[in-house]
Amino acid sequence: MPVVTSFRWLSEEEKYERFMERINAGEKIEADDWMPEDYRMTLIKLIAMHGISEIMGALPEKEWVPKAPSLRRKLGIMAKVQDEMGHGQLLLRVAEDLMAPLGKTREEIMQDLFKGDLKFHNVFHMPAPTWADAGLIGWLVDGAAIITQTNMLDASYGPYARALKRICAEEVFHAQHGESIILALAEGTKEQKEMLQDALNRWWEALLMFFGPGSAATTGTSKQDITIKYRIRTKTNEQLRQDFFTKYVPRILSIGLKLPDETMHFDESKGKWVYKQPDWNRFKEIIRNNGPKSKERLRLRELSYHNNAWVREALSGQSAAV
Amino acid sequence: MEGRDPTMKITKPEELQQHPEYKEVLVELLFQLADDDFILSYRGSEWLGLAPHIEEDIAFSSINQDTMGHAAMYYQLLEDIGIGKADDLAHQRPSSERRNAVLLEEVNGPGHYLSEPRYDWAFAVVRHYFYTQAKKVRIDSLKHSSYEPLAQVAVKINMELYYHLMHWRTWFIQLTNAQGEARERMKKAVAKVFEDFGGVLTLGVKGDRMVEFGLIESEKILKQRWVQAMKPVFAEVNLDLPSEFGMKRGNGRNGEHTADLDEAIMTLSEVYRLDPLATW
Amino acid sequence: MSDSGKGFYQVFEVFSRKNDTAPLQHQFSLLAPNHEIALVMAQENFMRRETVSDIWVVKRSDIRMMTEEEKESLKRLDNKDYRTTKGYGYLKKKWRQYEQQMLDEKEILSWKGEIQR
Repeated sequence: MPVVTSFRWLSEEEKYERFMERINAGEKIEADDWMPEDYRMTLIKLIAMHGISEIMGALPEKEWVPKAPSLRRKLGIMAKVQDEMGHGQLLLRVAEDLMAPLGKTREEIMQDLFKGDLKFHNVFHMPAPTWADAGLIGWLVDGAAIITQTNMLDASYGPYARALKRICAEEVFHAQHGESIILALAEGTKEQKEMLQDALNRWWEALLMFFGPGSAATTGTSKQDITIKYRIRTKTNEQLRQDFFTKYVPRILSIGLKLPDETMHFDESKGKWVYKQPDWNRFKEIIRNNGPKSKERLRLRELSYHNNAWVREALSGQSAAV
Repeated sequence: MEGRDPTMKITKPEELQQHPEYKEVLVELLFQLADDDFILSYRGSEWLGLAPHIEEDIAFSSINQDTMGHAAMYYQLLEDIGIGKADDLAHQRPSSERRNAVLLEEVNGPGHYLSEPRYDWAFAVVRHYFYTQAKKVRIDSLKHSSYEPLAQVAVKINMELYYHLMHWRTWFIQLTNAQGEARERMKKAVAKVFEDFGGVLTLGVKGDRMVEFGLIESEKILKQRWVQAMKPVFAEVNLDLPSEFGMKRGNGRNGEHTADLDEAIMTLSEVYRLDPLATW
Repeated sequence: MSDSGKGFYQVFEVFSRKNDTAPLQHQFSLLAPNHEIALVMAQENFMRRETVSDIWVVKRSDIRMMTEEEKESLKRLDNKDYRTTKGYGYLKKKWRQYEQQMLDEKEILSWKGEIQR
């Protein structure tokens, strides 16, 4: 790296050049460092969406928190959903620091969510009508999340990489929490087994969609090229989806479940899983908040935010007085 | 302590066979303790994801987990005595058999946790804070209980109460000392909680026998200690502490409950009831 | 980063100490309206699965951080072995001539216990 005598005398081009040198040298960029606008905006979009998805993602599982079938399950799922909120907290903090120079805070993040400008992950627009759904989310949705999140553990943006390190450590517990519920059902009564298979059938398409479209050609937009250029992630959407199949399909089959896609198989010659594409038009509709549970969950989030506004107002003026 | 035989100590559940009356009173007390923590942590778990602030949602959930963990320890004591399996005791018993204070079963506010919840944070703060202080007083007494397995559990639970108290006291003082709407909401919540707070402090019809057997100190003493602990806090927030507390909607210790508890039991046992014999 | 001033959403940095002899370690940051609320939320947000013996919360606006440029001031040459034991390694041989053992770090730190005569 060139020795910088005075950073502020550099031209924008030189700053960019220096930035890319740092990126390519594997250095971590910090919140207050100079960064190109598209790097900042890409990170804000990615991390705010990731963070708010964790917060919204708490809602489908949360439905089952009060209903979990034993004391231990109640405690386990409470801790798990609490972690989702915790992951949301970590990620929103990272996004908020990136937004601060733009004069935005958590307030604007929440408003963007309510307005529909800030999207949340497709899986969290889906219904979770049975206890098996709660288990399946823990097992496979978290499994998919582990695949995408570990892919970004070396992200060039330091605060994101550090948040992900914390998150992935907890995901190990989430995966086992999900496995524990799933295995109890898979080894249980006929009804329990059916409940589990139904949940898998329900979630399969959403799981395929989880990793995003294979290319921009599929849905019109894709951020994967820019995130790879800036070393925020290393693998493409399709590579991640294939990784997911490799890790999870054998496990799904091993416990007696059937994949709801009869065409699915591993093509030895291509070294790839062949599968039926999900309906990407439906995907676009879902993330536009037109999924089966989009409105209902946004309503919950919005209501709790407004209903408790008095608490934030009450304490907002007394920072010096306390 | 009044009427207590100071030499009387029960160290193992098996010894209870020779003391049927003691056992009966002990079981009553354990159900009060277990059901209180269980139903309040259930109400707390409904709040998950809906608290006024993300960071607080997380802190609150830890307290609910701790509290449900305490309930599980009490239900385990009942299981060890042979009353039934802990999970069955928590999920299967109808409201008429529950011994929790009515205040703790009350819904968090209008709406349902899945639909249009307009939960009341002021009520949550006041109910949890006042209850936690009562629990602390009770636990300090239980550390000397004649039933040693209970005394040991009390020592453990006590460890986690410092944090719970600090957390709720902070919220209580700050919101009550805030101006305008917040103070009004807090005052309203305090009045509402006091209407049924007598139900938290009472030991029910078998309370005197509990004291005789050295299981716990009298409700009169416990109440005094609660008032002593709360006095400086009420002074700090400039509110009057009443000398009597109501049981407006009944005495839960005697099995009197509201429809809120029936609804809660239906929800919390929804999956369990699909097949109580299955492994979940 | 602009986080000064009032409001509910203020940034607090959270630090913790694993045990009484461990150094303070940075955990993460959270939003809170004041120090008291920040403190009662800190442990459960960042240390749910570890025990700690102390927690500090510091308002971020009270922290003087380094700019990207100032971080250049942290670099230094690798020519300072006179500051470390590495620059005095020859003593080992010297003491051997006097039939004495060198008092190295391991030896010196062992003196907190009983000294063998």
